[in-house]
Amino acid sequence: MAFGSSVKAAQIADDVTDVLPVKGRSLLQDAYRRFIRNKAAMASVVVLGLIVLFVLIGPLFAQWDNEEIDWERMGDIATSGMPSIENGHYFGLDELGRDLYSRVIQATGTSLLVGVVGAATALIIGTTFGLIAGYVGGRIDSGMMRFVDILLAIPTTLIIILLMVIAGRSFLMLFVALGAFGWLTMARIVRAQTLSLKNREFIEAARAAGVSEGTIMVRHILPNLIGVVIVYASLLVPEMILTESFISFLGLGISEPYTSLGKLIAEGAGTMAYGTTWQLLYPLFFYVAIIMTMFFIGDGLRDALDPKDR
Amino acid sequence: MLANIEARYGLDQPLWKQLWDYMSNIILHFDFGPSFKFKDRDVNDIIAQGFPISLTYGSLAFVVATLVGVGLGVWAAIRHNTFIDYFAVTLGIAAQALPNFIMGPILILTFTLWLGILPGGGWNGGQWQYLIMPVIALSTSYMGNIARLTRSSMLEVLNSNFIRTARAKGLPMRAVIWRHAMKPTLLPVVSYLGPVFVYVLTGSVFVDLYFSTGGLGQAYVGSALTRDYAVLLGVTILYGVLTVFVNLLTDLAYAWFDPKIRY
Amino acid sequence: MTQTTRFALAALLSSTMLTGAAMAASHVPEGVTLADDQTFTYRVLDEHSSVDPQVVEDVTGSEIVRDLFEGLMNQDEDGNLVPGVATGYEVSDDKLTYTFTLRDNAKWSNGDPVVAGDFVYAWNRAADPALASPYQWFIELMSIEGASEIIAGTAEPGTLGVTAVDDHTLEVKLTSPLPYFPQMTTHATTFPAPQKVIEEFGEDWTKPENIVSNGAYVLTEHLPNERSVRERNEMYWDNENTIIDKTIALVINDENVALTRYLAGELDRTEIPAGQYPKMSQDYPDEATSFPRLCNYYYTFNVSEGGPEAFKDVNVRKALALAVDRDIIVEKVMQGGQPPAYTFTPAAVAGFEPPALEWASMTQADRDAMAKDLLAEAGYGPDNPLEFEMVYNTSDDHEKVAVALSQMWKSKLGVQATLANMEWKVFLEERGNQNFDMARGAWCGDYNEASTFLDLLDSQSGYNDGKFSNARVDELLENAKTADDTGPLYTEVEEIIYDEMPVIPIYHYAGVYMLDTDLGNWPVNNVEQNWYSKNLYKIAE
Repeated sequence: MAFGSSVKAAQIADDVTDVLPVKGRSLLQDAYRRFIRNKAAMASVVVLGLIVLFVLIGPLFAQWDNEEIDWERMGDIATSGMPSIENGHYFGLDELGRDLYSRVIQATGTSLLVGVVGAATALIIGTTFGLIAGYVGGRIDSGMMRFVDILLAIPTTLIIILLMVIAGRSFLMLFVALGAFGWLTMARIVRAQTLSLKNREFIEAARAAGVSEGTIMVRHILPNLIGVVIVYASLLVPEMILTESFISFLGLGISEPYTSLGKLIAEGAGTMAYGTTWQLLYPLFFYVAIIMTMFFIGDGLRDALDPKDR
Repeated sequence: MLANIEARYGLDQPLWKQLWDYMSNIILHFDFGPSFKFKDRDVNDIIAQGFPISLTYGSLAFVVATLVGVGLGVWAAIRHNTFIDYFAVTLGIAAQALPNFIMGPILILTFTLWLGILPGGGWNGGQWQYLIMPVIALSTSYMGNIARLTRSSMLEVLNSNFIRTARAKGLPMRAVIWRHAMKPTLLPVVSYLGPVFVYVLTGSVFVDLYFSTGGLGQAYVGSALTRDYAVLLGVTILYGVLTVFVNLLTDLAYAWFDPKIRY
Repeated sequence: MTQTTRFALAALLSSTMLTGAAMAASHVPEGVTLADDQTFTYRVLDEHSSVDPQVVEDVTGSEIVRDLFEGLMNQDEDGNLVPGVATGYEVSDDKLTYTFTLRDNAKWSNGDPVVAGDFVYAWNRAADPALASPYQWFIELMSIEGASEIIAGTAEPGTLGVTAVDDHTLEVKLTSPLPYFPQMTTHATTFPAPQKVIEEFGEDWTKPENIVSNGAYVLTEHLPNERSVRERNEMYWDNENTIIDKTIALVINDENVALTRYLAGELDRTEIPAGQYPKMSQDYPDEATSFPRLCNYYYTFNVSEGGPEAFKDVNVRKALALAVDRDIIVEKVMQGGQPPAYTFTPAAVAGFEPPALEWASMTQADRDAMAKDLLAEAGYGPDNPLEFEMVYNTSDDHEKVAVALSQMWKSKLGVQATLANMEWKVFLEERGNQNFDMARGAWCGDYNEASTFLDLLDSQSGYNDGKFSNARVDELLENAKTADDTGPLYTEVEEIIYDEMPVIPIYHYAGVYMLDTDLGNWPVNNVEQNWYSKNLYKIAE
């Protein structure tokens, strides 16, 4: 799945927004109740919670550091590097003789962080941009949205690659690059939503009561955007993780000794013909688990926030 | 020596002149200028060689993803909450959750090493044996997305009033689906297909890298990695134009699918 | 095991040649049945830079150019000089004038004869600033008269000290005697170029539809990033002894995919990924091959003005070099039969006798102890840990070595080395501008002589990216250019390198290949790996 391809998300988000404002105060409570009733989504929340827990307390059980090389066993990974409880390498060793258990924990943490921080960056930039464009309107709006359109016409994955090459690789740069291009669709959705909101009666009323424009934006329009923003952001998280893993696959993501799930999978997939399949399976398990739970949670949130009965 | 190199790329000209030359060459002559990395090939050569390849397996992957995805989605919706539905949903999500770059090694190991029935890569003039694995690898994740989208859209349509009316009139299910439900179901799918077409072409990077197909994706990433800005810019512009063009087609298709829209 | 059988085969080959058995081709031993399909397919990592002999700068491209074009001299399977377009040469008494006699039956693929003028044109072209060849310096290195002036722009292009006395006599004038000058004529930069074709088509002359070449093959197909195909040149003077009809180079970026495709029978030759040689030689003992190559692998300290303060202290440099356990790197990381390196110059270099340096014979425990002492002496320890960044170009194998090194330093010395990688071109640029603390380096000999390596540490060398500068080294290298016995000079340079440790030698390369058993005569003894398709053959299975 390519980065930023969530036209579907935009569609869904539009659906959500059609109904949102009318529902009034009890909306979030309603949504919460609907979400709780969604078995797939709740199961996903539990699984995701367990993964997060694993990342947090897993290191306590690790007997090896994530960058430490097991000099004894390196050089013959296929036979002596298998997963084993006895020697403390629960998930086996990677190609270079490092403990995969610790590395998977560190990688899972990184990937989750990339997903959440990337989506959060996109959320903040996208919401601000879309809100301003939609609320101010007129020429400024057209200018701002043409800018978004132009950026959307450029293949984003490739631009991120370019950014990583020019600016050099670093953790921070990765977040910046992901966030810098993830917000475009978000901005469009928020703008469309703002446009439909700003001429509503309650905004007119606030304006008539002398509330300043800034306050109207922050206090009256923003709260009404929360539903659509949450749904879209939850769909952005797996997209960010997918994009990061693709960039890592190209050898441009996070740099050694740190790693991410995408990088571990790429390494494991490369060597799976040599009898070291655990190097692929453990990271792949966590990766697929995260992506799938995020999809289900996203779906659940959409269903919860969209009162239309499916 | 430096002066010669500068003259070759026009870097000795003032900046505005460089930009003007570059732009006017593109617009008037479709000429993207020389590559910074390859002496005997200019950007046009690189695009002319790589683009037809990307376009060939990209279009095939697009067609496969659309047909299989829509078929799977419709089938799952009709048999809602049966085994087939669950199977399709799981397959759809799995296809989407697996990173597409692990499809490469899995396919090569299976079909080339163990079964020995397909060549493990290359292009070889686009013979069909060489196309199968790139097309499968590229189409899977989009297929999953399309299936999910079609399924939920179809479910919504099947629950709507006009379908209930049609059913109540005693029309057989098959006729209802083909004559009434299909168009509105495909509406959201069509708007997703436009961008997918562009992504299938640009997302071909990993296909080029794994299957050595020689397409444009590799030239693009290669140019980014080696800072060959001429190639990079040329391909970016090409993709940009393509995006705009495909968006236009999508809008037209949308109008055909949705009778409410009139231009 | 594999190695011994291969060496035996090579020995057998040369003896066959001595007996002069009358055969279809002189390099096929008796009793070998040739396959009907004489197509050789091999894997290359990356798209080649060019097939223009004066422009090509990479190994992949040079391999193709050696098949397409033929220079004055060639190399045989063992790396010895054998006649190419020239049947031989004479040197004047002052060793400053070389006269090559060209064979009269050499032809271009369009039927034109190859004449001395083609070489004059090509060499002038290589030096010409207008071409901006990346190997321009090679002409200067050959010490040809006028080269430096043309390159500097103070002399007109075309005034190089090389003249066509007649169509079959080429005279070259040098500025100083250069014992290995004839060896240098096997390098792609010195190959002839077809002036008429180049002038007609300009930069497009290397395209398959335009190219005219004088080697055993002509380029027939080129799909960038996919394949390039060269086929038999019927006009080649030794065409009847050429056996391989067609050579295909397939670009496969991923080495694991390449190995899979080799195992599926699509390729006749591919590299074995680091660490997989033991498994491959167990599973495919006749195919997995490892032999020494003329390349070194090292890390260089940035000792320039702007470099880190810590590396200006020789004790720090020595401590880091000593703490590297080379046996682990070669036996557990690379695992491909690479020799560990305690000298900068590989032992495989012709005529180079590696000096017996102190650290080569120490145990690793002793080296580690010495390293700890030296680092403590330099003032680094637990309260003041040494920190620096090491850069390497993006590659799985380089990453493995870098990770192993940083972990050795960390566990033995408490040194904190941060890893950073860059793409090749960017890496070269950054390293060339001294924007690094410590950087990976590797050099493959342009000719088989120690100076091609040691020159890198000459303070004037364009590739001395660590900016090491030692007057005595410069002097010794200058003397070596004209000395009759260079051995003691090179030994002293290596001793200074050990004392000063501007670089950390890690290992010397080995060619670690999967070679199909039906591929005959691969030159495993040619440490430069200058191979020619015309000398190979495919055996019927």
